[in-house]
Amino acid sequence: MNAIVTARGLSKRFGETKALDNIDFTIAPGRIVGLIGPNGAGKTTALKALLGLTRFEGDLDVMGYDPYRQRAELMKKVCFIADVAILPRWLRVSQALDFVEGVHPQFSRERAEFFLAKTQISHKQRVRTLSKGMVTQLHLAIVMAIDVRLLVLDEPTLGLDILFRKQFYETVLGDYFDDQRTIIVTTHQVEEIENILTDLIFINDGRIVLNESMDNVAEKYVELLVAPDRCDAARALGAIHEREILGKRLFLYEGVAKQQLSELGELHRPSVADLFVAKMQGVAA
Amino acid sequence: MLLEIDLDPNWNDSQPIYRQLRDKVVTMILEEVLKDGDALPSVRQVAAEYQLNPLTVMKGYQELVDEDLVEKKRGRGMFVKEGAQTALLRDERRRFLDDEWPQVIARIQRLGLKVGELLKKLNGEER
Repeated sequence: MNAIVTARGLSKRFGETKALDNIDFTIAPGRIVGLIGPNGAGKTTALKALLGLTRFEGDLDVMGYDPYRQRAELMKKVCFIADVAILPRWLRVSQALDFVEGVHPQFSRERAEFFLAKTQISHKQRVRTLSKGMVTQLHLAIVMAIDVRLLVLDEPTLGLDILFRKQFYETVLGDYFDDQRTIIVTTHQVEEIENILTDLIFINDGRIVLNESMDNVAEKYVELLVAPDRCDAARALGAIHEREILGKRLFLYEGVAKQQLSELGELHRPSVADLFVAKMQGVAA
Repeated sequence: MLLEIDLDPNWNDSQPIYRQLRDKVVTMILEEVLKDGDALPSVRQVAAEYQLNPLTVMKGYQELVDEDLVEKKRGRGMFVKEGAQTALLRDERRRFLDDEWPQVIARIQRLGLKVGELLKKLNGEER
């Protein structure tokens, strides 16, 4: 299968600061990739480069296009919800549909209507009368009605309450995603997407810190809960992170045989959030 | 239960999720929530409801196919195989008799309980 995105030596500088420092990654079709990193890590810069919204150094191929030089072509093949997604406040819902129908050849009004019918939004409403959650629903209805192979979501559920957030991913998984489509998502709410992801990329200071399929993550990383008297033995096996939990110590290992570890205590599957903290901080007492 | 909206499926972190999904379906077959020949909810439906990536769901279903409990019908989805519940019950019974029953017997003997007392109790509860 051809990759949807291939980046080789991708770099981006702002003056002295390297927002992206020579990064390589590949994204295959039919994947849901989480791009996770602290503020200022380079996530949004990477997404912008991918969407042709910024110049960059290195090689970047998005579905056969150079995003910066062939942006107009590329825009027919990708969709994007920005963290600062804004619609004009005076716009009516029906006008938003008219507009996208007019500018995007891949847009299906019928699909958009289908998604809108599941919400409380009416066609006559102006954007300024919609709640924040409804604006996101409108965005999503429009974006999912555009038949493209790559959907980029930058903090799509920021500021939404838990019901809207759950519903957002339920709709994406139930009505949109299939093995021909690819989704790249960034979020700080890692715990709500961790089971959705097929691949995980951690980025920090413009560099990739981790890039694995979730299957590999499950193979490679394991947490071990150890009683105080066995801590030295656990430490000797080379944990990448450790912390105190309920009077016991929790060690996180990378690439250490589970068999060997299980003799010292209880094994657990680390959450993406815990893995993230470990990878960002390194070994800390 | 799988077919109902379940906001918190309570995955534990000691087993992979696909494995826990497999166990959920097995329980449903044993409890006859899913009967022989019944369709399993689609991968898409489970993925959306439980907020799981579809590959995880497929992996869980594949386990059931490999165990001969579920069959894939082209273009129609997954179905509980004829005799799946019987086979599961047989396994569960064997497991009980081999693993749990000896422990129960040992406990009965430790407590000095008589067979007669136990039967009386059993009949009393069934009435």
